[in-house]
Amino acid sequence: MNEFGACRHGLLAALLVAAMNIFDKIKYPILKAIDVSGLTFLGPVVRLCYGEEPQVQMKKIGQWILVPILAMLLFAFFWAYGSTKVTTKSGSVPGPLATLEAGQAITQFGDYEAEKEEAYNLTGAEREEALENAEARLAEMPTIIAEANAGVDAAKAAHAAAIEKKTASLASELASLKDTYKNAKAERKAALQAASESLTPGDESAYASFLEKVKDHTARTDAEKEELSTLSKEIKDISDKPSDKVALALFAQTAAAEEKQFLTKQIDQLTTGNRASKVAIAEEKIDSASAKLLTLTGPAALKSAERIAKAESRLEKTKESIYAGPKTLGYQVKRSILCVFTGFLIGSLIAIPIGILCGLNSTFMAAMTPFIAIFKPVSPIVWLPISLIIASAYVPAPDDSPFMNWLWEDAWVLNHFDINPAFIASAITVALCSLWATLANTALGVASIDKDHLNVARVLKLGFWPRLFKIVIPSALPLIFAGLRISLGVGWMVLIAAELLASSEGIGKFVWDQFNNGASDSFAKLFVVVFVVGIIGLLLDRIMIVFQRLVSFEGSPTAI
Amino acid sequence: MSFLELKDCSVTFGPPSNEVQVLKNLNLSVEKNEFVAVIGFSGAGKSTLISLLAGLQEPTTGQVLLNGKKMSGPGPDRGLMFQNYSLLPWLSVNENVQLAIKTVFPKLSKSEVAEKVDHYVKMVKLDHAGTKKPHELSGGMRQRASLARTLSLDPEVLLLDEPLSALDALTRSELQDQILNIWENDKRTVVMITNDVDEAVMMADRIAPLTMGPAATLADDFIVNMERPRDRRTLNNHPEFMRLKTDITLFMMGLNKESKAQAQSPIIPMPDIRPKDFALPTAAPRLRNKKVQPA
Repeated sequence: MNEFGACRHGLLAALLVAAMNIFDKIKYPILKAIDVSGLTFLGPVVRLCYGEEPQVQMKKIGQWILVPILAMLLFAFFWAYGSTKVTTKSGSVPGPLATLEAGQAITQFGDYEAEKEEAYNLTGAEREEALENAEARLAEMPTIIAEANAGVDAAKAAHAAAIEKKTASLASELASLKDTYKNAKAERKAALQAASESLTPGDESAYASFLEKVKDHTARTDAEKEELSTLSKEIKDISDKPSDKVALALFAQTAAAEEKQFLTKQIDQLTTGNRASKVAIAEEKIDSASAKLLTLTGPAALKSAERIAKAESRLEKTKESIYAGPKTLGYQVKRSILCVFTGFLIGSLIAIPIGILCGLNSTFMAAMTPFIAIFKPVSPIVWLPISLIIASAYVPAPDDSPFMNWLWEDAWVLNHFDINPAFIASAITVALCSLWATLANTALGVASIDKDHLNVARVLKLGFWPRLFKIVIPSALPLIFAGLRISLGVGWMVLIAAELLASSEGIGKFVWDQFNNGASDSFAKLFVVVFVVGIIGLLLDRIMIVFQRLVSFEGSPTAI
Repeated sequence: MSFLELKDCSVTFGPPSNEVQVLKNLNLSVEKNEFVAVIGFSGAGKSTLISLLAGLQEPTTGQVLLNGKKMSGPGPDRGLMFQNYSLLPWLSVNENVQLAIKTVFPKLSKSEVAEKVDHYVKMVKLDHAGTKKPHELSGGMRQRASLARTLSLDPEVLLLDEPLSALDALTRSELQDQILNIWENDKRTVVMITNDVDEAVMMADRIAPLTMGPAATLADDFIVNMERPRDRRTLNNHPEFMRLKTDITLFMMGLNKESKAQAQSPIIPMPDIRPKDFALPTAAPRLRNKKVQPA
């Protein structure tokens, strides 16, 4: 082996050793991070990677990962089964697959809108390239749609044939039975008619037997009718049973139709609706009008000049305009999160100082107790109209206030979200409903400071503010954060209802729109929202847990 | 005139109808740079006594004088070392000491503060654990951190409230030596509360026994006439040490017996009452008394 090779081997070995060292060193930081973030189910996986007691870890993985997955599968199964049993005016309750499809439809819609927005903003060569692509795809669409239609027809025909085959014997049986019963009925009726004519008035026994015969006839006719209807219902049930293949074909057909519609609109955004082309057209018009103005005098010149001035101001607006499409769920989720944090911030800014005062001073606590006791149980549904009225009175429209104008036009990130009275009212409702947990926890945390720590402050002769910031607040922080965590959870629950009622653009608005919208998948989209709201709530809770653990001391992990 | 003085101090707790007198007519005077140990049983009111000296507790009657002046409230001139460390758990050792220094010497620059923190943390030999939080330390290390914080106040009087009672015997003797060492290098007035006779004799110039509560008071002092520095290794052969230890132990045990005798209440004979049997008469009385046959 030459020297270079040996050197390289030595280097590799050194690198390997270094990597192993790092691998060993990061084990406990990883485990600690997992513990702090509360994702304890990942702990056994990490330990297993390090080969620590594999049997114990496998058992834990089975318990904390496999069992939950099994439980979820079981739930999906019961959901799928149960959903077919409940039918409503808006169709049967969507099962897991229908919900998944609705989720896909929602993301598809979001993607389409994003592409349209991009199309609106494109300029120059990029615009032309995109236009070419879109037109090429649109040219393909008729064949795709025709294929989809043919597919639907074929699937329907196949389904009809299958039903025909399944019900053929039943149908012939039904026809023959109908005939038999019809004849039998006619025969019985004829016999009874003959019997009725041979009756002699006064012969009681003869009348009685005649009546018996008539009763027997009616009973038989009813039984035969019943039998026939059961049979035809059986046939109907078979033919009504939906076919998965037909549903799939219909789904493809809808998707194709939607894509075609999207392409038409995208092309629209790339041509006449495109900002750059709108600007170009307007500029051209202004140029020609300006040229024409040079030849005019008197009232005509004034009129033309006025028109040019107006057109120019419109042009400025067009240059700054943004794509105005329908709101997607993604946008609504973002706005809801912004709203919940706005409300949470307002609530915390009220609750923490008041909570600290309550904890420090029992007289102040006594003064606050009635308010806390009375306002705490008030439902968000009551707070919302009140705050909506107040917010409408005090939150001006962007045209009337420089601040609101700034908020709508230039404020970083916030300018996308149109902060209106409904938004503020929803945020205030969130604040009013969520601040109580923080307030109570802060007061408890401040009131239950270790007496020894206060004695330390006394010996050091700390003033009010140093004592507050160096002793009182740090020692109350874990409980304050526990309160904040509860508050954020409550706020998130309250927010959806508030948005729905205030029709503030957000998840609540999406729910309300789907409720009022009669589309075939609206019901399934509501189910999607359940999961979206749940998962976001879970994430918010996790974030707060991490904060809570980071400020905790003694025993609990303090830092990663 | 003595430096730190308790004059006829009494402390009572509770509402007037149900008062508990914890300390009664306490008199103690400590000279400048003297090391006084107060020894007493648990529950006798030792911590109340140190709270009086620190100013955390106002006497119900009597006066606490420092330098001949009446004391008002606690302050950093009387450095109190708490029985249960009382370190702030969200701060590291350095930060705990730093908080004290910054509060007491607000005019120091950043580097001077850092230097002082270093000095005191080194003095108690904790410089290797300066960035650790209290819960990561052993009991002895916590107590040393607490000592560093107390010393960093540069107090005129050092008040030690059972500083070593929560520690194991080995850590304890090590810390005793450390405290004595620091005291001998940098003399100041010390009042130490303890429940350990050996510790008191080993460390103090004078030992004041606290009688049993309630209404505990200080009995006559024992003067420790032993040269310093005292060598732990030869201490057990020192006749003065043995004499004092025996005397104090006997005295304290006598106190214990006395208080038990006092605490004994007269015995009230209870009436001899047998519980009445309310069971219904059984139909077959013979079965009731039937003996269980061994299987």
